[in-house]
Amino acid sequence: MTSTKIGSFQLKEVVQPKHKANTYKVETALVGNPASDKTAADSDESLLIAIGNRQDTEAFNLLFKRFSSRIYAMGVKLTRNDQLASDLVQEAMLTVWQKAPLYDLDRGSAQSWIFTLTRNRCFDIMRKIKRQPTTISADDIWAPEELDVQLVHEEQGSMEAEVEKIERHYDQLPLPQRAVVEQIYIHDRTHEEAANVLNIPLGTLKSRLRLGMGKLKQLLRTEVDSNAGTTKVKQTLGRNGNAVNLKHGRNS
Amino acid sequence: MAANINFHPSEALLRGYADGTLSAGLNVVISAHLEQCKDCRDRVAELENIAACEWVESSKEMLCISDYDGSSEQGETNIIRENPTAKLSHLVTDITSHPQHREMNPGDESVTEIHMLDHSVRLPKVLARAASDGLVWKKMTSGINQASVMLDDQTQCEFLYIKPGAKVPVHKHQGTEVTLVLDGSFTDEMGKYQKSDFVMRNKTHTHHPASEEGCLCFSVLDSPLTFTSGLARLLNPFLRYRFSRATSMS
Repeated sequence: MTSTKIGSFQLKEVVQPKHKANTYKVETALVGNPASDKTAADSDESLLIAIGNRQDTEAFNLLFKRFSSRIYAMGVKLTRNDQLASDLVQEAMLTVWQKAPLYDLDRGSAQSWIFTLTRNRCFDIMRKIKRQPTTISADDIWAPEELDVQLVHEEQGSMEAEVEKIERHYDQLPLPQRAVVEQIYIHDRTHEEAANVLNIPLGTLKSRLRLGMGKLKQLLRTEVDSNAGTTKVKQTLGRNGNAVNLKHGRNS
Repeated sequence: MAANINFHPSEALLRGYADGTLSAGLNVVISAHLEQCKDCRDRVAELENIAACEWVESSKEMLCISDYDGSSEQGETNIIRENPTAKLSHLVTDITSHPQHREMNPGDESVTEIHMLDHSVRLPKVLARAASDGLVWKKMTSGINQASVMLDDQTQCEFLYIKPGAKVPVHKHQGTEVTLVLDGSFTDEMGKYQKSDFVMRNKTHTHHPASEEGCLCFSVLDSPLTFTSGLARLLNPFLRYRFSRATSMS
């Protein structure tokens, strides 16, 4: 472990040099998923990450072999029709391919994710067949919770903080969130690059970033409120992974 | 956000929602409750995990059978089961030529509010979608207005507005009636129901809802209700007609 010093903002260097990237990948993933074999190279989760981060068609092929008959079985059970079950395999696996970057490791297993997505496609297929009104689709019914929407808005704003206090709060962040915040704001990587370095799905990166920034902001706000009127050094964390931009100044 | 919700969907309903086996009408009313109830949302996430495990387990059995049959020990079973997805593997090339989604759909902000006399009520997102074609309010009885929403061919779904002080005639249900309170409150013999409460009544219940402060709710019926007292009984043939109208596709 090395250290990086930026202004008075000292951080523990969590990320190891590139040649050790592989050991790091395993560590990060383990932090997020204790007691699981999700990190095995051919686990459903690893395949999904490879598909989402690198458009890995070989990984997709493997996942297709593993899940197509399961999806077919669900299709037969719910639609009682072989043709619709085949359609479901096509539509569900297409959605797996398209949405793989949005898969979030922290929200559940790959099999649960594929299950819910298959259930949703099946619901839409059945409605189309029965010519039911199109005002409602599966994505409206099984929508992500409202909390997410509010946090996304917050993420887009800039963040003002007292530099000398960041480190303490920063240490309170869970390791997975800290690693993500660091990739984006210290190493100035794009979301895609950071997801690749950490070997986590883009969707997981985004949710950890959101949670980490939300928590930092909350901690800092509490502190700023209780220290109103003191000299402040502002740190602005830019949008979408821009460089850390330090402004030193006085706040009257 | 509603601080304390006292009435929730049954475990069986949540399970049906997680499995995807319910009608669109029930899915929608449960989804609207979930948007405001973290406990039920967490429970659904657990049920989805359970359902996913069962799904993988049960298809494992199916695959074993098809593998066994594929090994062609006896001719008679060969025809019944060959792996039906083997011929679908050509789809992979086509699928992987599609672009991927890097961002969540922001989701459109359609109608989200219903305007009442003195205030407006913010609808759960799924109900806003359901109402996005517009609502036509009709007088049902003297104190109650209703606006139908067509979601499927099995349920009658509607927004109901009970005016302050109004009583719904005593009625019972032939099937199941689910009511989600969106604003205000109502009471019946079994309790008082407030915002986000999820109330389910079936044919064993005869009830007499009333609202002191007025109440906006969304209700889903899987068969027409029957009024059991006084002149309101005259409405029954009309209600049956309305149910068949609401559930027949245009």
